[in-house]
Amino acid sequence: MKKIISSVFLLSLIALSTPLASQCNSENFANACIPKLATGFNFLKSYKVDGEGGSKEKVEYSYVFTKGTQYMINLCSNGAATDGIVVTLFDSGRNKVATSKINGQFISAIAYPCNATGIYYIQYTFDGGGGKCGGSALGFKR
Amino acid sequence: MKSIIIAFAATLLLVACGKTKKPDEQAFLNSLDSAKKGPTIDEAVINSILEQIPSPLEISVLLKESGTKYNYSLLNSPDNLSKYNSNFKKAINLGVYGTDLGYTNIYQQNKDGIKYLASIKSLANELNIGQFFDIETIGRLATNSKNLDSLLLITTQNFNSINHYLQTQGRANLSVLLLTGGWLEAMQITCQVASKNPKSKELREKIGEQKIILEQIVLLFGFYKEDENMASLLKDLTDLKTAFDKIKITYTYKESSMEVVNGVAVIKDNSTTTIDITDADVQNISSITNSIRTKIAN
Repeated sequence: MKKIISSVFLLSLIALSTPLASQCNSENFANACIPKLATGFNFLKSYKVDGEGGSKEKVEYSYVFTKGTQYMINLCSNGAATDGIVVTLFDSGRNKVATSKINGQFISAIAYPCNATGIYYIQYTFDGGGGKCGGSALGFKR
Repeated sequence: MKSIIIAFAATLLLVACGKTKKPDEQAFLNSLDSAKKGPTIDEAVINSILEQIPSPLEISVLLKESGTKYNYSLLNSPDNLSKYNSNFKKAINLGVYGTDLGYTNIYQQNKDGIKYLASIKSLANELNIGQFFDIETIGRLATNSKNLDSLLLITTQNFNSINHYLQTQGRANLSVLLLTGGWLEAMQITCQVASKNPKSKELREKIGEQKIILEQIVLLFGFYKEDENMASLLKDLTDLKTAFDKIKITYTYKESSMEVVNGVAVIKDNSTTTIDITDADVQNISSITNSIRTKIAN
């Protein structure tokens, strides 16, 4: 009886501790990104970028960008540069408009002076494997 | 043996407590008059459409940057608050007042802004989402024009938090109303300004490109046809969409180029959109928008 209770207790503890071990506080990263928007940009949205321990290949959001407005999307994560997190912008026809990986270099912000109004997809991918954790902010200026 | 059982029971209790709804969340859920849960729909789909709706602040910035003067009479009076007795009216006018607050902030009309703040706080409290509106901080920031950036930031964050909370609570219908109210008010302001500046191509195009956003809003309302109030507003929005259907938006994709400047990837967008909209279209859209806005604000 004692062994059964001990086993159940141990299993419960393991089950409870598993999510903690792989926890990604992407909200903190997203909030930390807001003040990093360049001067003159007004904050619009913050985005959580959680690779969920490698189970997600990409995280995607969408937003209507308008002609004549300049947008900035930045990235925040642990460690150097963007920790392999790449943001890519696609138009409504899924044509690639911009990416933060240029010539193998990971850039932490994109400035996009929009010339064509429409729905755009903001896609975050994880270079060098999933399981990455970060955040991002979107701002605009005229 | 006894200590193991106690520890196990304590663990279970902790887990159970963590899953209990906070009192304010429960009060919120109980308070909704249209408390019938929304139809069986994929909340993720609704949330992904909701997040696309652009901030009305973008239009206020455009108006200011283009030299348009501040005009308080374009806004919904904060004194209309007492007219909003249903959660439908409260939610949609919370969105309307949110746009009005953004407009007063952009023009640094702090005295007017504070009146909107009070009405917003009141509506938010009545919808049990007042905890997301930090009126003290906003009020303090609003008293000094040097705080404009912080003021805009915190109000945007507060509205984002409200929308996020409503969506995670399965009450995306209120979030739809809030965003629609905000959009309609921005549309109404733009149309009024455009009517006084009929030669402004920029304003005409700004109105025309709202076709893309209205299509998303109509799509969202389609999920809530069962709700009498939302069905009625959907009918009006569909009339507005019919007026927008005459506008032709042509998108041409051309590969963009990029260069890194001071650690930022600066894009050169080579794609274009052209918006074909006539004066008659603007007048028709303005008239329908004004009629819907009058209906929701009174």
